[in-house]
Amino acid sequence: MDINLSSDDLAFRDEVRSFFDENKIKSGEDYFSWRLGWFEKAREKGGWDVPKWPEKFGGPGWTPTQHYIWEQETAQANIPFDLPFGLGMLAPILMNYGNEEQQERFLPDIRDRKVNWCQGYSEPGAGSDLANLKTKAVLSEDGTYYTVNGSKIWTTLAHVADWIFCLTRTDDSGIKQQGITFLLFPMKQEGIEVKPIITLGGSHTVNTVHFTDVKVPVENMIGEEGKGWTYAKGLLEHERTGLAGLSKSLVELEQLKDNARSIQRGNGNLMDDSSYKSKVGELEIDLLATEFTELRSLASAAAGGEPGPESSILKLKGTEIKQRIQKLTVEASGIYSSAWGDKGAGPSFAKGGTAGYLNSRYFTIYGGASEVQKDIVAKKVLGLTKGSSK
Amino acid sequence: MNFELSEEQKMIQQSVERFVQENYDLPNRIKISSEDPGFSKDYWSSMAELGWLGLAFSEEEGGFGGNQIDTLVLMEQFGKGLVLEPFLANIVLGGGALKRSPATHLKEELIPGLIDGSLQITLAYAEEQSRFDLNDIATSAREEGDKFIINGKKSMVLNAESANKLIVVTRTSGGQTEEKGISLFIVDSSADGVVRENFPTVDGLRASEVSFENVRVSKEDMVSKKDEGFEILQAIANDAILALAAEAVGAMEVLYKDTVEYTQQREQFDHALSDFQVLQHRMVDMFMEYEQCKSLLFRATMETVQDPKMAQRTIHALKHLIGKSGIFVGENAVQLHGGMGVTEELRIGHFFKRLLVIDSQFGNADFHLDKFTSL
Repeated sequence: MDINLSSDDLAFRDEVRSFFDENKIKSGEDYFSWRLGWFEKAREKGGWDVPKWPEKFGGPGWTPTQHYIWEQETAQANIPFDLPFGLGMLAPILMNYGNEEQQERFLPDIRDRKVNWCQGYSEPGAGSDLANLKTKAVLSEDGTYYTVNGSKIWTTLAHVADWIFCLTRTDDSGIKQQGITFLLFPMKQEGIEVKPIITLGGSHTVNTVHFTDVKVPVENMIGEEGKGWTYAKGLLEHERTGLAGLSKSLVELEQLKDNARSIQRGNGNLMDDSSYKSKVGELEIDLLATEFTELRSLASAAAGGEPGPESSILKLKGTEIKQRIQKLTVEASGIYSSAWGDKGAGPSFAKGGTAGYLNSRYFTIYGGASEVQKDIVAKKVLGLTKGSSK
Repeated sequence: MNFELSEEQKMIQQSVERFVQENYDLPNRIKISSEDPGFSKDYWSSMAELGWLGLAFSEEEGGFGGNQIDTLVLMEQFGKGLVLEPFLANIVLGGGALKRSPATHLKEELIPGLIDGSLQITLAYAEEQSRFDLNDIATSAREEGDKFIINGKKSMVLNAESANKLIVVTRTSGGQTEEKGISLFIVDSSADGVVRENFPTVDGLRASEVSFENVRVSKEDMVSKKDEGFEILQAIANDAILALAAEAVGAMEVLYKDTVEYTQQREQFDHALSDFQVLQHRMVDMFMEYEQCKSLLFRATMETVQDPKMAQRTIHALKHLIGKSGIFVGENAVQLHGGMGVTEELRIGHFFKRLLVIDSQFGNADFHLDKFTSL
């Protein structure tokens, strides 16, 4: 065991830092053209525009430590935004289960950030129990296209998406995990209606999406009909570890402390307040431990391919940590935490702080609610099933 | 000991309950909240006509001679509907100051208007640097002949947008955090030098930042004795805590009951959610928090009626528990409703927001734990 980064890793970190430094947005520069230029330069570095993609598909082929360094550095640097749907969620499925024609058709546009994707999984009756989904896809008699009918819910950014990857039901005769088919189709077409859902924080990110007789050519089906659940499940597990967001939380924790220090209390500040300080301390201790849980998980994945049992707690701990940071921001805002909107009053971090906290309640619900996560840990890791005590 | 309400109180409880059921479904609340002035003037008049606004004033003031227990009865029911009308601002805060004022001419002039609903008076006490400390007052009232000149800025003033008058907590002497040297004045909200910056709050109510620039008032406008206003301020804050706690208890009841109902209807994994033991236990925890809050609310209210001085420590305990438990119940109601809980479409999110705001008013859970342990 050795906590030090190797000299190669240190050199890599410096290279990453200087890349971020050299490619910062210049004042007056157009954000979107800077963004595209940034990804182009990252690509020239050898796949830095798609860090998580395998080498075979143009990724950089980094070690787990290099990925960790990248995560840490990106959390602190001002780099362009990226959405996970095409890049991190659909792309691995295309790589593993799509045919060559589909890979050539979709992957380049995903890599070039040309097409916005959204994920059509949850339905009003299929939340934690995702396999319960009912959106129907019926194959035409000539076998050339599916007709899709049904509704999706919680579809993030559906209102700006060009395409959707969607779980549909093609057969309901067997157990519900069977008969699910993975389809891709454009969002801007007749028969698709997107309705906003306003969340408690007052923002519009998620939607309900209704499909009425949407025609999808069979070429847009991934893998085999009825096997979509297997493809999506692998992706969900990927989503669950990706949701921990620890590097970001570390940065936010430092910001939280700065904010608290800006609140004068007597001769000191809010970080001198014993109850507040204890809560920040407990949070930081959890974060220190979870960061190494993630590293252990990465290391065991590198050694054996499969992430170890410790990876199962990452989403649970990571999302809880994010919520606690939001809650402590609300507490730091004091009386101003109840002001709503931009007008508001008080310190600048108080604006939007409560909205952020309210929306953060979603973290322990989406991508598998914490209660469901714990069921999975109990079953898969601890081996607890009904009757296991006998 | 007796926890029974009187016959009159039971009748009022039932009539408020009916009022809330008939008038405060979620779409109607959202509509009222989003249109100016942020509450219903008709409802406010009805509340006056039904005598609710005068309940806690003495008979010689034109009220019904009630006390904090009557306010509890009202506020708990208001909490079940997230009632928007400014009862807290006008009656508990504005009225609470006047009720305790030694200035009989102000009482005679203003309390009848509060009781009949024609007059709105709120309390401007908090300041940017004060956080939750009632004694931290930088806004100054400088004596000049028979006048006082007020300068400073007040924060998060509830319902100031609709208030005809503001009771302003000022410093007339002493250092910024001294209890002595605090004086309360009544000021027309339209007076020269008073500027209100209005905005909505997280719970759909309204608040304002109010600045005072060389606002001239006379000695007759003094609500407290000169330099002796802190005691009144503390007493108003205690009443406000009792009222908010009663409202919170009403809101928590809705949250835990809605959650129990929802989990019985919602099916996942071929079972009602309520079949899962982990969720059952969570709801038992929510229910326990609610009951404990209610007990401490009764304790603090009954002690206050008996002897306000003796009740101080219990009031700190109450506000701590309400803050902590309110957020626990709110967060878990949202969690057990899943994605739907995080939307504006169900009422639970709105109740959760109100509980969040209640924790931030008149001292949060940490603040009162600290006060409780140092008394």
